[in-house]
Amino acid sequence: MKKASALLRWAGILIAVVTVTIWVGGIGVFGSVKPTEDRIDTRADIISIDSMGVFGKLQRPPVTFLHQKHTEALQKKNKDCTTCHLSEKSRLSTKYMRLEDTNKQTTMDIYHTNCIACHNETAQAKEKSGPVVCGECHTDKPAAISSWQPIGMDNSLHYRHVKANQEKCERCHHEYNDLTKKLFYEKGKEGTCRYCHRDKTEDNRISMQKASHIACIDCHQKTLAKNESAGPFMCDGCHDPAQQKLIEVVKDVPRMKRNQPDIVFVKTAKTDEEEANPLTRMKLVPFNHKAHESYNDTCRVCHHADVNACVQCHTLQGAKDGDYVKLEQSMHRRNIDHSCIGCHESRQKVKSCAGCHTSFEKKQQQDQLSCQNCHMAENSSETRNPDNKMMAAMVLESREPITATYDNADIPENVKIGALMNKYEPVKLPHRKIVNTLFNNIKDNKLANYFHHEKGTICQGCHHNSPASKKPPKCASCHGQPFNEKDPFKPGLMAAYHRQCMECHKEMGIIQPVATKCTACHREKS
Amino acid sequence: MSITRRKFLGWLGAAGLSTTVGTAVDAASNKQFKGYPESKGVLFDNTRCIGCRKCEEGCNKVNELPLPDRPFGDLSVLENRRRTTTKSYTVVNRYEKVSSPSAPVYRKVQCNHCLEPACASACFVRAFTKNQNGAVTYDASVCVGCRYCMIACPFEIPTYEYDSAFTPRVMKCTMCYPRISKGLLPGCVEACPTEALTYGKRADLLMIGRERIRRFPERYVDHIYGEHEMGGTSWLYISGVPFKEIGMREDLGITPAPKLTSGALSGVPIVVGLWPVLLTGVYAINKRKEKIEHQEKQQAVEDALAQAKTEAESKLAEAMEQAKKAQEAAVEKAVNKALEEAAKAQTEETADEQTEEVTKKASEEDA
Repeated sequence: MKKASALLRWAGILIAVVTVTIWVGGIGVFGSVKPTEDRIDTRADIISIDSMGVFGKLQRPPVTFLHQKHTEALQKKNKDCTTCHLSEKSRLSTKYMRLEDTNKQTTMDIYHTNCIACHNETAQAKEKSGPVVCGECHTDKPAAISSWQPIGMDNSLHYRHVKANQEKCERCHHEYNDLTKKLFYEKGKEGTCRYCHRDKTEDNRISMQKASHIACIDCHQKTLAKNESAGPFMCDGCHDPAQQKLIEVVKDVPRMKRNQPDIVFVKTAKTDEEEANPLTRMKLVPFNHKAHESYNDTCRVCHHADVNACVQCHTLQGAKDGDYVKLEQSMHRRNIDHSCIGCHESRQKVKSCAGCHTSFEKKQQQDQLSCQNCHMAENSSETRNPDNKMMAAMVLESREPITATYDNADIPENVKIGALMNKYEPVKLPHRKIVNTLFNNIKDNKLANYFHHEKGTICQGCHHNSPASKKPPKCASCHGQPFNEKDPFKPGLMAAYHRQCMECHKEMGIIQPVATKCTACHREKS
Repeated sequence: MSITRRKFLGWLGAAGLSTTVGTAVDAASNKQFKGYPESKGVLFDNTRCIGCRKCEEGCNKVNELPLPDRPFGDLSVLENRRRTTTKSYTVVNRYEKVSSPSAPVYRKVQCNHCLEPACASACFVRAFTKNQNGAVTYDASVCVGCRYCMIACPFEIPTYEYDSAFTPRVMKCTMCYPRISKGLLPGCVEACPTEALTYGKRADLLMIGRERIRRFPERYVDHIYGEHEMGGTSWLYISGVPFKEIGMREDLGITPAPKLTSGALSGVPIVVGLWPVLLTGVYAINKRKEKIEHQEKQQAVEDALAQAKTEAESKLAEAMEQAKKAQEAAVEKAVNKALEEAAKAQTEETADEQTEEVTKKASEEDA
């Protein structure tokens, strides 16, 4: 009897275990969510159709439309763009099956009737087709992640277009006549498309997006039709990052032919009559326009609003045309690409410069000596005429772009730093090696050379806040006990040493010696 | 005594009204504690921190804490996110893949020494003190081990010696209170080779922090963490990356922890002090009212009784009188009757007597 009950108990336990195992295991097998969604791919051809937005608030989510997918599908059927796009003045409209957005109902019907009809037709032909049910097009779920990248003309691409069009600038460039309301071409007034064609369509000028798609694609297609080599007309050809990298780049692009100067004095007045008295005027700045053309990819970097002299908008006193940015500000403003100093400072971010330049406070006001690096034309009868290009070239030539420093004999080879000896032995600083490294890093950098021609300048990367000299004061002359209430911004001597070395190494990407390995620089005292 | 609805609501109203007196005073006081003047603090600048753990070593040494299992020179511990423990008042954590710089960013964790510490406000035995010099210190001798401080601290700093069976203590950074009282630097600050830790007056540190941000706007996030967080802390932080990315809470708000509870707690003296008086008073008044009522009732009953008694008495008296009269009348009547009878009898008797006398006389005469 006792044996039977024990047997029964064991059987019960066994059943319980099996049940639990099956139940848990079942969930494990059947309950797990399989990754149902396919990997969302990246595409450059995603268009969000929100055309109905002009008639008021959208009732349903905009349709995510994959343009290239449709183009390719039509190509297979030997159909072309005109299947969907109507022609206007021999060019295709960017709108779908219409030229104008007439009214809400008509526009909506155009989409619904034509899209659904084509999808149905395709489906009937037993081919892969698109959706016909409302929610399948009007969905918030993204069909793909956009890899779309903007594209613009750079010097190389522009040159290739110049060459392909046999220097017929008028094929792309035009002006607008307000009276006749017509486009016309004027030689010598060519500018970037973006000067007129902005982000959004305004009054009589269409948006940059529309302008480029109408003009570029049309020309590319027509060229291709003539069996000539043409640019892309599919979305990804221009907008896919991978495809963009394949665009042929011309090295040594010849200069654009637009009567731009080689070397000039930066103008300080719109007209010669307005020119200030040369005797009381700031020293003129000779500017090497030709050289700067090659430093940048496009003219737009500096000529951000039109291709004119800066002073046309940025007058000395500031004017409405220049958004009241004065000439001085337009040249000296920091943190902006199209000012001289802003652009030059952005070049300090390279490793060979960053070591010294990140530790300095970036000041709006420069010291006098550095002003003269640009404002260099001595007042004389020759330099009084700002149009004197010859003189500008001469002044610029007279400046030697050479980084200078003291003779090796004057630079101590090693410096023993033992002022703070406590736990560690003194540091043997390879002083001359450091100076030479800094020197060699920038000696081929033209921009750096213009600004480091004084012998002591390079030394000031470390020997800062004292006049540049062959024998600068010791670190301990200024840095001492830390946290001095009377001089709260000055680091103590230990931090001054460590930060000077470590922060520079970090910015310059120097990995050895590792900052956290004390004995890499000073041996532990035995 | 039975409680009626009206009475209960009345008490409630009185009690409620009395508490508003307390908070109204508080609001009118315009009390804002901005920290002790001249109090000290430390500014941590993570753009200067190289993650060398010298601060941890310095802290360990000056506080005479047990040596860790792995030496301080072993930087592989930075691979894990660490918290302060009973044996390490401060730890440095490394944060990689933060937004802007490619290099890792470090953050030192220790007690922030709040201007109005949550731990102190939660402690009911006053084991925590916010000292004049800024340090928040702990007195183990009064601690009862409730660990409310650990729950109260928004920075999760105090730790508890769970492994100590008999004298467990709450352990946390003291800002090296004994050292700074002597004019020395806190252990971590002294050990830092790059002045990523700056020690000084809190007011000066704020100025230094702002100046660094002004000079290098590209390098810093324009915020000094701890200037206002939780009502302000003595330990301040400036950073090259958003504070959220180095594990610092940005949801704390600027209200000091004690203020969050002061509203409710300001009612406590009122509740403890005034309520008993108030409610006892209300009770006493009610009680007295009832007593008087009772007395009056009794009086009325007595009066009524007395009146009834007198009435009854007068009635009785009347009845008695009537009865008496009737009795008297009856008596009189009876008397009269008796008298009449007596008279009658007398006359008869007299006659008899006369006869008797006569007889007697006669007999006597006879005799």
